[in-house]
Amino acid sequence: MKGIYLAGGYPDTNTFRDCFHAVATSGFDFIEVGIPFNDPIADGPVIARAIHDSLGNGVTPDQVMNEIHSLRNSNIKKYVMTYANIIYSYGIKKFSDRLTGLLNGIIIPDLPNRMAHLFHENGLDIPIVPFATLETRESDLVMMNRSGSEIVYFIGVRGITGAQSNFESPELVHKIRMIKENTDKKVVIGFGIKTGEDARQALKIGDGFVVGTEAVRRQRDPEALRDYLRSLCQ
Amino acid sequence: MRSNNGFYGEYGGQFVPEILIPALDELERAYQEFRNNDESVTEFDRYLSEYAGRPTPVYCAKNISKKYGFHLYLKREDLLHTGAHKINNTIGQALLARFMKKSRVIAETGAGQHGVATATAAALFGLNCRIYMGSLDVERQMPNVKKMKLLGAEVVPVEEGLRTLKDAISASLKDWVTNVTDTHYLLGTVAGPHPFPEMVAYFHAVTGREAAAYFRGKGILPDCVVACVGGGSNAMGIFQGFLDQPDVALVGVEAGGRSLNPGDNAATLSRGTRGIFQGALSYLLQDDHCQVQDVHSVSAGLDYAGIGPQHSFLKDTGRVRYTHVNDGQALDAFHELTRLEGIIPALEPSHALAWTLNHSDELRGKHVLVNLSGRGDKDLGIIERHTREDR
Ligand SMILES: Cc1ncc(COP(=O)(O)O)c(C=O)c1O
Repeated sequence: MKGIYLAGGYPDTNTFRDCFHAVATSGFDFIEVGIPFNDPIADGPVIARAIHDSLGNGVTPDQVMNEIHSLRNSNIKKYVMTYANIIYSYGIKKFSDRLTGLLNGIIIPDLPNRMAHLFHENGLDIPIVPFATLETRESDLVMMNRSGSEIVYFIGVRGITGAQSNFESPELVHKIRMIKENTDKKVVIGFGIKTGEDARQALKIGDGFVVGTEAVRRQRDPEALRDYLRSLCQ
Repeated sequence: MRSNNGFYGEYGGQFVPEILIPALDELERAYQEFRNNDESVTEFDRYLSEYAGRPTPVYCAKNISKKYGFHLYLKREDLLHTGAHKINNTIGQALLARFMKKSRVIAETGAGQHGVATATAAALFGLNCRIYMGSLDVERQMPNVKKMKLLGAEVVPVEEGLRTLKDAISASLKDWVTNVTDTHYLLGTVAGPHPFPEMVAYFHAVTGREAAAYFRGKGILPDCVVACVGGGSNAMGIFQGFLDQPDVALVGVEAGGRSLNPGDNAATLSRGTRGIFQGALSYLLQDDHCQVQDVHSVSAGLDYAGIGPQHSFLKDTGRVRYTHVNDGQALDAFHELTRLEGIIPALEPSHALAWTLNHSDELRGKHVLVNLSGRGDKDLGIIERHTREDR
């Protein structure tokens, strides 16, 4: 399960589409499209800056959703990553209706597992991807199994997007083993994957990875992104 | 004011990254143990009285009362150590941090009052301390920045966004996510994820208790209790003393800023809609595309797009009337209190005072209690600038 995060509509519609196709044709299994929110509390400076610039260019949640519609025929699995307020204030049911059938799941960095039911009870029909972290306790894992998502998003760092994971750390290896033993989900490691070496390491201990910051850094230049994607898959 | 599993009606909750959940659970356990343990409550009370200067007096402001035709009482939180109500909460949470064996505290600050109060408690209890402050607020509240540094805190100016309170809270959350093992986030108002709103309101409840006791001693009830509302902590503090007295009208005054146009004010409860922001579901100033609105107030402590979830609940139930006054009205009230009573208030409670003075007709003959949440030393630069501009 190899995945890439792209900031939706960044830096402009056409370049975003080129980047999307670069990911879809480079051997990746899924793509996460970010819908911008202007208080991105889980994002480091690179992604926060991209979000800020998109909003400055007038990108709206509706536009990014339109974009996802226009890319529906691409076979790659699609996820949306956005903050809780975007879905809540757009209207949970309305948001779900707009994207239902197009997505494999939604990643909401400020919606912890225990709050996810509120969104489902209020009309969200798309699976919410559960999180696991270095702080996850065994008792937290029960909740994860209730999610309809195929994957669990493992955040391998204490920090925000753009931090560096340490795949040698016994703590990390132990946590991933604990999750795999207690859930039926594929463990996708996010936050902190930068190089092909990181990606290989992640695939050794988990079932997949997502790269965000290093992809967004190259989103202004689809060719550079393509070269980088190749380096991740070697 | 107790929550129902972290919610007040539909408001509240825990909308933060998953990695913080174990820390919030630990904090909740510590807080519950604390409030059920006589020894910790006694220790807290002792610091409040011997260190912070509680109880604070209620002063019947004779000159203003005479001029405006009502009885004005001021709850003198401005007399507390560090100059504002914020110290109640920082001593409480510093005791909890010590109990949880956290060696480091971080905090956001707008006006700098919460930053100073946090740095003070950190010095007192030997905790490492870092304060996040929007760089615009660093400029406009410089005396407090200097105090925090003297007290041994590291002050980190935040350059993101509008460089005010929202951005300082975001930066604090990012720090907490990164350093959650050894760090307690000493949040300064009744906002954020559960248990912060309930816990911060608990630490401030002493204000309302003292005020209620004063009026019991006089054998009357106030007709009206007025407080300014930024995130909502001083207001929750004083309202809790009167919530169960239906004859006491409660009024929360937000910052009307320059105008009621989007971006020009911080009147969240009057102009906002429901949203999820910085940990809680509550009212929020946001635009048509679900983005947090820019805000403005002459007062750095009220300059916030969000609001504590209890206030959203109290608005919807109708128990509290929420309203706003603009920058100019707050500045006028500041001068009025200074000249007529010899008390220099902070610009935040000047909003509560302004509403009261502007409603003298409605309040004629009544007993009105205003929570004077802090003193104005920190605001002298702003006052000077505005006086110059007026000339
Ligand atoms: C004196 C004073 N009053 C009020 C406030 C506003 O905060 P809250 O609404 O949490 O009481 C502040 C915040 O800095 C303050 O310094």
